[in-house]
Amino acid sequence: MDLSPVLTGFTVAFEWQNILFCLLGVTVGMLIGVLPGLGPAATIAILLPITYNLEPTAAVIMLAGIFYGAQYGGTITSVLLRLPGEASTVVTALDGHALARRGEAGPALGIAAIASFIGGTASIILLTFIAPALAGVALAFGPAEYTVLALIGIFLVGTLGNGSIIKSVAAAAAGLLLAVVGLDPIMGTPRFTFGTDQLADGIDFTIVAMGLFGVGEILYNLEHRDRPDKPVPSFGRAIPGRLHWLQSRLAILRGSVTGFVLGILPGGGATMASLVAYAVEKRTAKDPSRFGKGAVEGVAGPESANNAAATSSFIPLLTLGIPANATMAVLFGALMLQGITPGPGLMTDHPDVFWGVVNSMYLGNILLLVLSIPLIGLFVRMLKVRPGILAPITVVITMIGTYSIRNNAFDMLLVIGLGLLGYGMRKLGFEPGPFVLAFVLGSLLEASFRRSMRIFDGDVTEYVQQPVSATLVAILVVTVVVVPLLRRVRTRQTAGAEEAGVRAD
Amino acid sequence: MAKVKKAETAEAAVVEAEAADDTAAAAAPEAAQDDEVDEGPRAGGRVQSVVAGAVPVVLGAVAAWLSFGLDIGSLTEPGPGLWPLIVAGLLVASGIGIIAVTAKTRRDTEAFTRGTVAVLAAAGGLAVYASLYEVVGFEVPTVLLLFAWLRFLSRESWLMSAVLAVAVTAVAYVLFIIGLNVPLPHIIAF
Repeated sequence: MDLSPVLTGFTVAFEWQNILFCLLGVTVGMLIGVLPGLGPAATIAILLPITYNLEPTAAVIMLAGIFYGAQYGGTITSVLLRLPGEASTVVTALDGHALARRGEAGPALGIAAIASFIGGTASIILLTFIAPALAGVALAFGPAEYTVLALIGIFLVGTLGNGSIIKSVAAAAAGLLLAVVGLDPIMGTPRFTFGTDQLADGIDFTIVAMGLFGVGEILYNLEHRDRPDKPVPSFGRAIPGRLHWLQSRLAILRGSVTGFVLGILPGGGATMASLVAYAVEKRTAKDPSRFGKGAVEGVAGPESANNAAATSSFIPLLTLGIPANATMAVLFGALMLQGITPGPGLMTDHPDVFWGVVNSMYLGNILLLVLSIPLIGLFVRMLKVRPGILAPITVVITMIGTYSIRNNAFDMLLVIGLGLLGYGMRKLGFEPGPFVLAFVLGSLLEASFRRSMRIFDGDVTEYVQQPVSATLVAILVVTVVVVPLLRRVRTRQTAGAEEAGVRAD
Repeated sequence: MAKVKKAETAEAAVVEAEAADDTAAAAAPEAAQDDEVDEGPRAGGRVQSVVAGAVPVVLGAVAAWLSFGLDIGSLTEPGPGLWPLIVAGLLVASGIGIIAVTAKTRRDTEAFTRGTVAVLAAAGGLAVYASLYEVVGFEVPTVLLLFAWLRFLSRESWLMSAVLAVAVTAVAYVLFIIGLNVPLPHIIAF
């Protein structure tokens, strides 16, 4: 393997403005990780218009930093207040908070930060070696392969989520339908534009992400405004002792591997990885009854796993052009805005962007490790800012950002409408994730499908007769069988975690 | 002790929300009922579950009708209408599936509450805000929106709402118009 582009990536990552944007990204990420309610997908969506004027590498470095920084931040509230800031830190709350109540909050947070650092870093190293191989394979893909690949992506994101599978399919179909609005990609016929020029160019991805994730989340949280006010336990020295380290080092190793593997899987991501890592730790422990009562492994395993997964979930996006989760879908949009199409060509066409972003993650993880411990006190104080004050400010920033995309008030109305749609979907039990992902992949899926149908002369069975696409179809079939099994494992695990949580008191 | 109890149930609700399976989803509303202090989201009724399926069916039917207005073409030569027609079919099928299966076995909707009025009011206010933007500039609508939201939706004091509304608008002005050079319509010029 030729290492020179990797090394060039380091010089890109260590340019001073990229270091600055990396720092900015991870700090914002940690901050929103601490605040429950606003997730990384929403934050990145809201900040998209600001990145228009940035240089592509700097923009993506910052947005990526928000994503993995949020995993660190979510841990802090999980441990101290048992209020998980992010879904991926829910299991950390079980043993982390038990440790905090025993007066070991400091060491728990320290171990979590170190585990996160090791998980994240190990995952970048693995990514560096696996991504080029995967991209090499993907270069041979034609329209037929992309059709099946996009289907696999949408299917996995829809089914590995928490909601009902059939509702995710419906949400994805609605997203695909919204992607149809605008001119036909091959013939240029206007479709579903209802005669307005405003819709002729289609709906900008930023609008959809800001509406569903940004405004939608704010409206949804408006209905449940009360947040319990809890006293913050003192956390003392954030440096774990020798014993903590000895207990958790194997857990960190196992968590890193689990997280890396599950992160690559579309739809798996950080939440799934942390749940599975917790299950693994509990199963391999000599005395599983310690879990839920403050076992350090129960913090170390899931924390290394969710960071490893956050990093490895970049792989499908950067090598295949298929986003693995909702946040990656927003990053997909960010790259497209910069005129860069994520896919197998990315590594060869824009090696500076690819390796610059990947290598900036080393720096980001170091920054997070260094920052997270001294800033814990500050972040906890941030929690005292009432969500009722943050919400209208976030809304105003979103509205200004929306207007600035095309200097168009119609887009603002669209964002508000999509925000209401996102709210309604949540109320009716639909997840916005599959919708946004399907919207992103919609035009790729349609164009690939129509091109491959022309190549195949209208014969659908050709999909299973071409060797490469047949392999992918086989993978699709396998996932249809395997996913329900995975869901069952996770459910059992969640139930177990819950039991442990109840026993903890 | 009451505090500890509250923390515990809140956490249980979060963990349960993560659960994918039917049994855990069915257990969630019970947990919410047991809890007197922290009212988690309540599951919606049967009607709402059926509506959740009816919406995709109606949407799909409308989309299918619109697709027929476009050229469908054939599988060999797909026209602009073929793809939307396939998607519309998927919508109708999944909607029927939701009514037939999911609505009976799962309680995954959330009941609408008094808070829904606040949500609609917020969306309405935002729509007014967006329409005023190009007419009178961004300053006055922004101050008004922030003030109304803070005072009536977030229930901050009159003074706090007024001070924050003006301060945030001023910061936004400096940040976006002067700092980032965003071409927002504005009336105050330097």
